[in-house]
Amino acid sequence: MMSTYYAGLFADIGILFLGAMSVYIILATGQLSLGNAGFMGIGAYVASFLTVEMHLPLTAALVASALVAAVIGVIVGFPALRLKGIYLAIATLGFGEVVRSFLLNFDRMGGAGGFHGMKHVSLEYIWTWAGLIFLLIVMLERSRLWLEMRAVHDDETAANLVGLNTTMTKVGAFGSGAAVAAISGGLFAHHYVYIEPGNFGFERSIDFVLAVILGGSTVGAGAAVGAALLVLLPEWLRFLADWRLAAFGVLLVLVLLTRRQGILDRPLLDKLRFRRARS
Amino acid sequence: MLEIRKFLIGGLLTAALVSGAQAQNQVNIGAIVPSSGPFAEWGRTNTVTLKMLEKQVNDAGGVNGAKLNIIILDDAAKPAQAANNMRKLAGDDKVLAVAGPLTSSACEVTFPIANELKTVATSQASSKPGVAKANRPWAFRNTVDEGILANTSVPYFNKTFGAKSVAIIYDAKDAVSTSIATRIMPAAFTSAGVKVLNGDSPISFNTGDLDVSAQVTKLKSLNPDGIVIGADYSQAVTVLREMKRQGLMKPVIGGTPLISSAILKAAPEIPVIAPATFYATMSTPKAKKFVADLQPLLRSASGLPKDIEPSMYDANIYEIVNMYVDAAKKSGITGKPGDLEADRTKIRDYMANLKGYDGFSGPIHFGEDGDAIKNFFIVEGKNGAWETKVTGCSAAGGGC
Repeated sequence: MMSTYYAGLFADIGILFLGAMSVYIILATGQLSLGNAGFMGIGAYVASFLTVEMHLPLTAALVASALVAAVIGVIVGFPALRLKGIYLAIATLGFGEVVRSFLLNFDRMGGAGGFHGMKHVSLEYIWTWAGLIFLLIVMLERSRLWLEMRAVHDDETAANLVGLNTTMTKVGAFGSGAAVAAISGGLFAHHYVYIEPGNFGFERSIDFVLAVILGGSTVGAGAAVGAALLVLLPEWLRFLADWRLAAFGVLLVLVLLTRRQGILDRPLLDKLRFRRARS
Repeated sequence: MLEIRKFLIGGLLTAALVSGAQAQNQVNIGAIVPSSGPFAEWGRTNTVTLKMLEKQVNDAGGVNGAKLNIIILDDAAKPAQAANNMRKLAGDDKVLAVAGPLTSSACEVTFPIANELKTVATSQASSKPGVAKANRPWAFRNTVDEGILANTSVPYFNKTFGAKSVAIIYDAKDAVSTSIATRIMPAAFTSAGVKVLNGDSPISFNTGDLDVSAQVTKLKSLNPDGIVIGADYSQAVTVLREMKRQGLMKPVIGGTPLISSAILKAAPEIPVIAPATFYATMSTPKAKKFVADLQPLLRSASGLPKDIEPSMYDANIYEIVNMYVDAAKKSGITGKPGDLEADRTKIRDYMANLKGYDGFSGPIHFGEDGDAIKNFFIVEGKNGAWETKVTGCSAAGGGC
């Protein structure tokens, strides 16, 4: 029997894992989004509105919120096509802040006072969603579409020249990433049973990106490793008292110095698989 | 290898036995404080306060002979961490009750868990309206609703400074500040017949902004008789300094988050009106002793300013844990693992039925909504010191 403390932490890991996957999908096409907490916020508020005020079942509400976020993701994705690298990152960051500020002033859903009334969901439910999305990503990673996404990632001009529809790929990635972030938000809202705009700020977006970079930005499973470390390390370092967050930062730097590609990458995964097959 | 294993197993067994023996004559109480993050100063002074209290109780013989052990966890003022802290304290550490968390945002997600795990949690600082009320019966707050405080502070402000109009500036990123500045204060001033010049579009800034010159210029252009600042003291200091720089020497009013010694030094010429249930220069014997005991400890603690004074939240958390200790002493808490649930219920019932607890501002008890009913003071900060101007009571009928 897992203690309620670890159950809480694993719920956090599941939610962060979903958020990290939302960044991973977009990153696979070479676009860095620093605004996914905005999509998460949209998901959290839409899903909560649907379950609390429209009395929809949670699963239906999550699917609906994912669709809403996907549409907004595509709308954001189009102007983002003109931007690359750091400029895109800053633009998405701006989008995240726009969402947060909008929610702050949106009194219909409580504004700065936050929103209540959701029903608590089980840890299993959160991980069912995380597992499902992860499975989709693993399938995607084995598809032709993934090769197109990697092609756009590696060289957009060349991908365009060989006749790939890079616009579709990039905008589609934004839409899918937004949908996954929204599911993460909906689950967050129904795990903590209270949401406020401050939950979906810049720091949350950074956490998503950090989980991907730390865990490994070239394989989907990296997001899970990154999410687990980001949630568990600050807890395990509690014996350091006031220094725990500093120590956490040092550990992050050390990991990235020794493994620039993140903890998990393709060769390491293959090695793990090889060993298992041998034994 | 075998030797090492034997040694390890032996060690583990001894550790288990020792901790088992300790558990029997030890009373565990949890605390959630923000020792890192934006409110680190409050969290760290809370930690020092609790360590002092733990020593005081144990030096005086403990809790019915059992040793008091306060387990203090840092939530970095992040709601998710506070929620997990609550789970750890109630689920793993088997505490009788929890003091904290400090911020309203953290309380919003922690109080539902207090109910789920049937463990009392009492906040030392949350003053956003209705947070404990939404999470009865296990959530309490040793604080007074900002709305109640404003109903006394605003009339005093109007009378003293003859204010005909006020303008609002606030920290839009902070939930309590937003609630004070956009709901509570405009309502209180309007009902007192004072014009709120920018009630429709109050001037905002964000937590962490270092330059608020544009906002203060705008504030000045409204030419108000008084300024409402919705912000905690660390942000309000930035606004006050800028007001002084631009020569906007108008009286200021705000909520409890303004109370601190730092704000008195920012612009001593500008009078500041705020509500408080405790401030470091209070003259009651109980408060004087508390400050005399705590202040040297705070000033010698690492990571705290050398001129720091005990805050209202130190007083509040000191009262909270003292109430728990009283509950443990008076309501026959056994401290046995099997009785944990019954013990926690006894603490809850003790808190709910508390009468006339001897607090810093006078007697304290808790209302139906879980918020403290106690005396509060409307204080004026001027020339570097707080001074009580009005004493009020947070009970609806006035009986404290």
